Amino acid sequence: MGTHATHLLLLGAFSALMLYVTRVVPETQGSLWTIAAIGFLLLSGTLLSELLAPLGLPHLTGYLVAGIASGPYALRLVDEHTVKSLSPVNTLALSLIALAGGAELDIETVRKGARSLGWAMLVQCLLVLIVVTGCFVAVARPMIPFTRQLTPTALVGVAMLWGALAVTRSPSATLGILSQTRASGPLATFTLAFVMVSDVVVVVLVALVLGCVRPLIDPSATFSLDSFATLGHQIVGSIALGTTLGLVIAAYLRLVNRQMLVVLLVLGFGVSTVIEYLQFDSLLTFIVAGFIVRNMSKQGHKFTAYIEKTGTVVYVVFFATAGADLDVPLVRQLWPVALLLAGSRSLVTWGGSLFAGKMAKDAPVLRRWAWSGLVSQAGLALGLSVIIAREFPSIGPSFRALAIATVAINEMIGPVLFKFALDRAGETSRVQPPTFPSMPPPPMS
Amino acid sequence: MNAILILMGLLVLSYLGSFLVSGRSVRGVGLPSGVEYTALGYVLGPHALGLVGADNLASFEPVVQVALGWLAFAVGLDFGYAGDRRVRAGSLTVGSLGSILTGAAVAAAAWFTMDRLGVGGSATDRVLVAGGAGAACSETTRHAIRWVVDRYDARGPLADRINEIAHTDDLFPMIGVAILFALDPTRNVALAMPLRDWPTITVGLGLLLGGGAAMLLRSEMPVEDTWGIMFGVSLIAIGTATRLAISTLTVTFFMGMAVSMFTRHGAELRAMVGPTERPVLLPALVLAGARIDFRAMPALPWVAAAAIGGRIGAKVVTGWMLAASSPPARKAGPWVGLSLMSSGALAMCIGLAFALRFPGPVGDTVLVIAALSATVGEFVGPLRLRRALFIAGELPEPGSSGGVKI
Repeated sequence: MGTHATHLLLLGAFSALMLYVTRVVPETQGSLWTIAAIGFLLLSGTLLSELLAPLGLPHLTGYLVAGIASGPYALRLVDEHTVKSLSPVNTLALSLIALAGGAELDIETVRKGARSLGWAMLVQCLLVLIVVTGCFVAVARPMIPFTRQLTPTALVGVAMLWGALAVTRSPSATLGILSQTRASGPLATFTLAFVMVSDVVVVVLVALVLGCVRPLIDPSATFSLDSFATLGHQIVGSIALGTTLGLVIAAYLRLVNRQMLVVLLVLGFGVSTVIEYLQFDSLLTFIVAGFIVRNMSKQGHKFTAYIEKTGTVVYVVFFATAGADLDVPLVRQLWPVALLLAGSRSLVTWGGSLFAGKMAKDAPVLRRWAWSGLVSQAGLALGLSVIIAREFPSIGPSFRALAIATVAINEMIGPVLFKFALDRAGETSRVQPPTFPSMPPPPMS
Repeated sequence: MNAILILMGLLVLSYLGSFLVSGRSVRGVGLPSGVEYTALGYVLGPHALGLVGADNLASFEPVVQVALGWLAFAVGLDFGYAGDRRVRAGSLTVGSLGSILTGAAVAAAAWFTMDRLGVGGSATDRVLVAGGAGAACSETTRHAIRWVVDRYDARGPLADRINEIAHTDDLFPMIGVAILFALDPTRNVALAMPLRDWPTITVGLGLLLGGGAAMLLRSEMPVEDTWGIMFGVSLIAIGTATRLAISTLTVTFFMGMAVSMFTRHGAELRAMVGPTERPVLLPALVLAGARIDFRAMPALPWVAAAAIGGRIGAKVVTGWMLAASSPPARKAGPWVGLSLMSSGALAMCIGLAFALRFPGPVGDTVLVIAALSATVGEFVGPLRLRRALFIAGELPEPGSSGGVKI
């Protein structure tokens, strides 16, 4: 029997066991079943990613599919409570993703591509914001029920919020694909730099749009710039903390350079808690820390290798949990409008990329494929949708539902497009990852 | 204390533990059983300083279950191997018979003491306490020999033999735990099943999951995927065992055994998993120590003393068996059996597993006996081991500091 057939068969057997146990034995200790759920997400994600690889699909898609299949809307091996209780894993994964992202950003390479990056950032932010806002206004009345009772000005306000949300990208998906493909080249570098920088830009943009649209949606509200003071504090604080953290990590790597798994866990859990307490932006803090390690010390490559070694297992659980968290009935209900909105965003991203590439006189590979890495959306978009829903309770739940459905489509399609583009651009590494015979020491030592 | 602070503390311990396994210069530091970490846990725990509250301990139960399961998996993976070599049949026999004998002696001593003093609750509770103590006290820690080898540079046939025995005496305690857990099967489970079926299911589940994992690990795959499969299947085993209220330790131990037996990458997997053992163990020992309650049962000191006395007697008999069957051991005399007194990781894991599965006097008593037995073993085992190795000519004069490597 072939390897894939064996893996498929065993995956079926493990699923059957989990299914049997969940159906026959009533659950009395929820937190303990979470252990099995993590195990199953990890196992099924790992196996499905291998099974889907011959189809040219990225591992990330395998993780997501595994999560959806095991989630509360399919096999119900992992219920809503379990998904919620996995939030510490998500915190750890996001910190690793941000650290890895920052550590991949080489200042020289970024400086060389600054022109491309600048044009792309400007065009993508403005064009996506304007055109997607317009699309939302155009399709709102006939297709989106909750907008029918809004006044025209309120509708424009909601559409602008949607436009701002559309500007967000997915650092996690980008890093996930780059980690799997070990790609290197102009497309990989550009996408990584764009996605990491856009994180900061998007946070500012959303704060700006929130301030502007408040009077449009709620006539009793007035335009206020108060939120910018908080935002400034958040950004400056995050950069300062990230710089300190980066220097400490670099010194540790230089002087001790051992037991990085435990150090990364301390960073993921302990430092994340401190950042949360200080109300800084954890993604920005860790990106800056990684960036400092890479560019202000000679420890960057070592650090990236450690994160890759540790992160793979965490990424599987993270993305599989994201799949399990996907509200499938909601997507089924809203898919026509979600598809339309996701499609229009992708189209604008593609058009914007062509225009920006022309203006920056980019290399052909960037002109052709730069848009492909900008389609994915995931946690950042969903996080912002929560903030928007909280700020505008009258439209909040419906807005968030639509955001979930649209992000789900981008989350599924985006990584496939990016991997396809990296393959076509010839940037995917042909070197096979190490297996048993040349096995390196385990991450702990 | 805040849960995140405790987690950070555990991570620091884990960090120290990983230095102990990988740092050449600090190997052999600390005690073979790691009982000092249990003592630290006790001091911090709710029954001493109270820095770690009972509610904190409860919130860490999933972490403890994972640690126990992973350690048992590592022990199972390593079962029957001393380093890269398979152990000899003679060592397997002495190790197995010794563990059965010790377990039975400890259980009998504990039972008769409880019976005599009229403590220990119902008959089932007494069986659980006696059996649990027997299972926890029957093994010899695999770290004992390595500790002496690393610290005193001991080498020779007796050191090899005792090392092999320490690697083969874990099977029957694990089966014992599965049987004991089956005595109270319906605490969480609504499945009606005859008593004898539960141990079979426990062992079968471990073998089944281990077989599945071994088949998955048969092919060449990236190291990251290997970790994914090992962690994934282990966590499924741990979660399923806790849901079925069967012994997590037994399931993952047999899973490790099956993986080791059925895959051609056994040596590589042992090399991967081995270094993770100590970093997982130390936090588990601290959490075990934090649960220790010396007032778990009336007349607990007497029951513990009887159990430890039974253990000493059984180890002497095991030593006699060893001396009869092995020429290097014969040279060291029958007291060589006391070299096997060091218990630790697995004993504390069994104690902790009982404390989690049978909260209250039963579990707490087993945990206390396991901890006391490890402490006594710490005073007797390494000393007797050095003495035996000295008589066998495999070690410099005990007491001379010439051979000590720190």
